Amino acid sequence: MPPKQVKGEYIETDTGNKVSRKSNILGSQNIILGGKTIIQADCTIRGDLRRSGAPGQHGNVAIAVGRYCFFARSSVLRPPGKTHRGFYPMKLGDHVFIGEGAVVEAAMVGSFVHIGAGSVIGKFSIIKDCVRIEEGTVVAPNTVIPPFSRVAGRPGVVIEELPETAQDSLECGRIVKQIYRMI
Amino acid sequence: MNAPLFPSILISCPCSDNVGQRSPTRSRASDDDIDIEEEGETFDPRAPRSAFSLFPLENLLFCEDCNQVRCPRCVQDEIVCYFCPSCLFEVPSSTVKSEGNRCTRNCFSCPICFAALSVTATSEDQTGPFVLLCSHCLWSTQDIGIEFEKPTSITAQLAAKLKAATASASSSSSSSLSAPETSHSRPLSPLSSSSGTYFRPTSPIPPPASTDEAEFIRLKAHYNQQNAIANADDFGGSGSLSRLMGLYSTGAGRIRSYGPGALQKSTQTKNRSEWQELEPCRAVGGEDEIIEKMKCVGFYGATSQAQRIIQVHNPKLLENVRPLAALLRTKRSKRCRSCRHILVKPESKVSSIRYRIKLVARSYIPQLTISRLDHNAVNYFNLQPLSNHQFLLTVTNPLYDLINVTLATPEKTPGKYPATVYILCPEFEVGASTDVWDEALGPEAKPKAKIKGKKTGLAATIWDSGRNWTTVILEIVPPLLPDTELEEDDYVVKVPILVRSVYESDIDRDDGIGKEVKEKKEHSYWSVLEVGRMGKKTAGKVGFEESAGARPMSLMSTTSSAASDAGTVRDRRSLR
Repeated sequence: MPPKQVKGEYIETDTGNKVSRKSNILGSQNIILGGKTIIQADCTIRGDLRRSGAPGQHGNVAIAVGRYCFFARSSVLRPPGKTHRGFYPMKLGDHVFIGEGAVVEAAMVGSFVHIGAGSVIGKFSIIKDCVRIEEGTVVAPNTVIPPFSRVAGRPGVVIEELPETAQDSLECGRIVKQIYRMI
Repeated sequence: MNAPLFPSILISCPCSDNVGQRSPTRSRASDDDIDIEEEGETFDPRAPRSAFSLFPLENLLFCEDCNQVRCPRCVQDEIVCYFCPSCLFEVPSSTVKSEGNRCTRNCFSCPICFAALSVTATSEDQTGPFVLLCSHCLWSTQDIGIEFEKPTSITAQLAAKLKAATASASSSSSSSLSAPETSHSRPLSPLSSSSGTYFRPTSPIPPPASTDEAEFIRLKAHYNQQNAIANADDFGGSGSLSRLMGLYSTGAGRIRSYGPGALQKSTQTKNRSEWQELEPCRAVGGEDEIIEKMKCVGFYGATSQAQRIIQVHNPKLLENVRPLAALLRTKRSKRCRSCRHILVKPESKVSSIRYRIKLVARSYIPQLTISRLDHNAVNYFNLQPLSNHQFLLTVTNPLYDLINVTLATPEKTPGKYPATVYILCPEFEVGASTDVWDEALGPEAKPKAKIKGKKTGLAATIWDSGRNWTTVILEIVPPLLPDTELEEDDYVVKVPILVRSVYESDIDRDDGIGKEVKEKKEHSYWSVLEVGRMGKKTAGKVGFEESAGARPMSLMSTTSSAASDAGTVRDRRSLR
């Protein structure tokens, strides 16, 4: 459990998310947060990288995040893109835990995903539900990780299949709720 | 692979106790100072057999009919569906039987680093010839000289190209009369050494097939034929079955004939069919070519062991590797081996994570978690010997009924260097896991600490309790280890704890009594707490290190360590 934060460090949005003032959020109008999501200090979220085209109105979302997510310090969320083709919207599910210093450029991350500290998720990778990515893993671009997997190594490959109770183990709702009340 | 994370809690599955002989007349020669109500001996976590029965709670299932915990070894798997882990397309089982258990679309892994390969065009616009490119190590099929015309159905194109390559290579290595120099436009010599490893002796026998796959098919057909002949002559070949049957049946039974070859005839060598070899042994030569090549390319041009054994054709050089097709994965349903009850049944849709039936141990047996009482005083990797370490053991109740939990542990942990363990409150109650709303809507009052259990002189109180959990204190005093070099396993403090929960539950009576009768049910299991690693006794303060124990237990993955100590006693877990 992180130590109690200094009061006032976190802003609470109208949808119920807690965002640290020291975090680095660009293009916040293109970011959708689900609710009860915590974004810690020094976290970078690039909402400015979006495909600018015909749908140039407010409905152009760069990053969509689910509920009960937790982005630890110094993590980076960047929508993947190709040169001359623009950026692809990034979508995260519920109960996603992103560890410290992790760089996530996936196209889609499912629900109940635990991304360890210091890991790098390559461009356009697709991570399905109930996946645990160990610390320091480097997942190659364009990888698809099936549900109930444990991924480790450089390049990240599936090393183990998680048991049926993985969803309960990976659920960070309880921890997020506790931290949410503290800060 | 993982560093041992302390503290970890493992649960023993009783399935291993039924294997082998079980002496029911084992006397109740249990130690008197062990306060265990069941008969039998305590669970020794260092015994060789117990290492195979310890699992973390996440991996255990529960069979309601047998009222017992089921581990991955005592469940039977049945396959629900096959799917490719890369493209997440479901493959029907008929296709799996015919085409094999690999993906037949465009899913390949890099043979060098095992990352995923992607189909990319070689030129800027999307029309040029396509290759499979690894985005991690930048290997591509151009390195082995293969390019594809279309970006789809890569498997078929790859198979065709490899077959053509080896066919032309073998024909070039065979008789020099027919020299197909102009057959192929692409350089195919790198692939020639993969198949032409045998020197064919000039013999009257027909030239063998050129590729390893064709050779395999030929051998298989030959042995199938031999098998059919052997079965036709004699059951099991060489009259073994007849001889065996003759041993057991005497007199009139002897005259009975088993099959077309009767007993008398089968003993003659005429009908004894021997399995013939397809062709006489060949001299395997031709390794000089490969050795020369390996000298040229050096260490970094040769395949490593991991890269080599995962390939089909065992290539020695990096220029001969092929992209690996993705192996299919399955969704399995699990069944109890004894009562055939389905314990886990996933939904057949690949992308769904829900389960139709999910009987996991987590929802039936009380769950143990452990943490430190005093955060600053305990370093899990360096427990001070001969000093009193206090831990908080939390028991969480998943059932809808109130349970009475009894904890029991031998005063000295089994093993060469026993640690002393005290449970301050061995018997207590844990509340029912009622609806969350009852707690939210009702007053936020915590129940008073109940003083329960046999008063042994120590303060038999619980530390804390909540809606469905109770925390008690555990005191552990590790021993002083001698200064000699010990195995890593000896340093770990392993505490076996017997958890027994008694509860009353409503059962529905079908025989029309109409009254709700409460039935007393009980369940117990052995659990091993790996509390920490003992350190050397130091005079000064112990260095403080935030170890893994600070993280909440639910995010920690527990690992089971292999107890490889020279255990002598095979302990039987006592379960009523």
